[in-house]
Amino acid sequence: MGWYNKRLSKSIWVFHVSASPCNNCDIEILDLLTPKYDVERFGIKLVGSVRHADVLLVSGVANNKVAPKVKYLYDQAPKPCFVVGVGTCPASGCCFKKSYNVTGKVEETIPINLYIPGCPPKPEAMIEGVVKLVEVLNG
Amino acid sequence: MSKNIIPVGPFHPLLEEAEYFTLKVDGEKVIGIDLDIGWMHRGHEFISETKTFTQSLYLVERICGICSTSHPLACVHAIEDIDNIDIPLRARYIRTLIGELERIHSHLLWIGLAGHFIGYDTLWMWAWKYREPVLQMFEIISGNRNHYGMMRVGGVAKDVDSSSIPKLYSILDDIASKMDMIAKAANDDPVLRSRLVGVGVLSHEDAVRFCAVGPTSRASGIPADVRKDDPSDAYDLVEFNTIVMKNGDVYDKLVVRVLETLESIKIVRQCLDMLKNINGPILNDVKEISPGEGIGRYEAPRGEVFHYIRSDGTNRPVRHKVRAPSYVNIPTFEASCIGIPIADALITLAAVDPCYCCTERSIKVVDSARQPTKIDLLKISREKTEYLRRQINGN
Amino acid sequence: MDNVDNFISLHNSKISKLIKKKKRLYFEVKNDYIREITDYLFNKIGCRLSTATAQETYNGIEVLYHFSHDESGQYFCPRVVITDKKNPEINSITLLVKGAEWIEREMYDLWGIKFIDHPRLELLLTKDNPAGIKQPLRFRRES
Repeated sequence: MGWYNKRLSKSIWVFHVSASPCNNCDIEILDLLTPKYDVERFGIKLVGSVRHADVLLVSGVANNKVAPKVKYLYDQAPKPCFVVGVGTCPASGCCFKKSYNVTGKVEETIPINLYIPGCPPKPEAMIEGVVKLVEVLNG
Repeated sequence: MSKNIIPVGPFHPLLEEAEYFTLKVDGEKVIGIDLDIGWMHRGHEFISETKTFTQSLYLVERICGICSTSHPLACVHAIEDIDNIDIPLRARYIRTLIGELERIHSHLLWIGLAGHFIGYDTLWMWAWKYREPVLQMFEIISGNRNHYGMMRVGGVAKDVDSSSIPKLYSILDDIASKMDMIAKAANDDPVLRSRLVGVGVLSHEDAVRFCAVGPTSRASGIPADVRKDDPSDAYDLVEFNTIVMKNGDVYDKLVVRVLETLESIKIVRQCLDMLKNINGPILNDVKEISPGEGIGRYEAPRGEVFHYIRSDGTNRPVRHKVRAPSYVNIPTFEASCIGIPIADALITLAAVDPCYCCTERSIKVVDSARQPTKIDLLKISREKTEYLRRQINGN
Repeated sequence: MDNVDNFISLHNSKISKLIKKKKRLYFEVKNDYIREITDYLFNKIGCRLSTATAQETYNGIEVLYHFSHDESGQYFCPRVVITDKKNPEINSITLLVKGAEWIEREMYDLWGIKFIDHPRLELLLTKDNPAGIKQPLRFRRES
């Protein structure tokens, strides 16, 4: 699917999935769209429906209740679809991993292609992560 | 009377957090609302009992990314309440400074999101643009944009560097001038007025009945503010006004938040003035916490944050109860959403500045309504057009 | 401090184990009197129900209410101890204070305390949870 991925990299449409985060990564993701960082310059656009999305931005630890819905969303996304785990939570579970209501790794629910660690990662780090994804897509 | 159900969520284009509402509607009018929460439930109270007191401060910081000072601040108040621990004067001013800066950034965030919810994206972009300098101030003081990690039992973790104070002043002046502009624009804007005045009214009686807190209750005429009622830190040493409005509609909640931001800028300026002059320690070394129970509270941007901690003399809390302001504000939807059109429902839901991460709740579809066919929809649409035409001609 | 002294003298026979701290008043009441005390605090002197919390101890399950008197910054904290750990029951105050509805539902969810006369006693946080979590904050202590 090399040729397809290359076309995808011109303008990435992202959908934001909040899987029980602490809200902070979500705010920083929204911050990316506002005038200071303005990622729409690069063709990156936040879309309202998962059916339009090329990339899912997942934040949070995915508790028992939300995990099936996240899986459901991923199944609905048109393939190829890439998943970026934003923040420390999808990568390691942060300080919540001992809780009774946390499934464990988000990776067990949906496959994750790229992690952007940080609690929360700075918007610059998120942009760098997406740029790295674009490099990979371009081959 | 036909009754249809509109499910909203758990993943919705407008709302960042996963939550689920079921709006029961008759025509365009909302006649009932049901909430399903738990999508964000991470079990903080369970984890907190396995952590030491200092570790639990970092945990409560991660309850919510927007109120990431209010929770640790209420938590240290609760621990200090057990033993009546004194805090150095400089630390008190630093705590107040951080708390008020957080209020500015949270209120600006809400103003922006409110604009986004009513389809007024210009306001969103403006408010969020002017919110960036506040985050820059946080970065100068604590080294991080969010999750500052400043609070400790008996003081604060980091000192404000005296060489950075002139820079903080210049950024604050910038914020103050921009805030004045937003305040005037919000006051005069015909779009905001026509969209928000008289929408989603929460009456004084309902606010008392539901025990609402923060800007939600102050817009309905209840002059409750923890900063005035039970002053902690430096709040009894600085001057500010409590903003109270009467009508309880969404517009009043907007006005309360805008005016509160201006008050916060005043407090931040007073704190910076004092930090220039006061020198001294910033942390009282607390060796151990004696057995007992303590209540800590703080006026977060959304209302009163409440922490209850019971200690048995070890280094871990036996019980740690957290009550976030949205937890008592969200049930007021039952009073404020009934009888308004669907188009106004979302802004009413957003008006209490709900934070589901704090509340740890969510929604789920209850049952499916009658499925209208294409012909039905066409008929309804024609009927409505006729109805509107008659109304316009008749009046 | 008038409110506190008034309150103690009026309800002297119903309250016990009084702990008086600066702006905080903790006391124990029997299950039968909790509605009466709530009625006095909420309707007569205009307190706001801040929250209520439960905790399991050796003696039983404690339910601790926090009423805040906003004008003076005073906290009234009635404590009800339920000794029957297997089948805990307590009188609901939701009919008096509408804001207690979610608070009591949460306690029902996390501790399994039954609230008598609660209008809608359903699970709040772990409702429809596929993992089937039951009373998470009690389970651990007994094991």
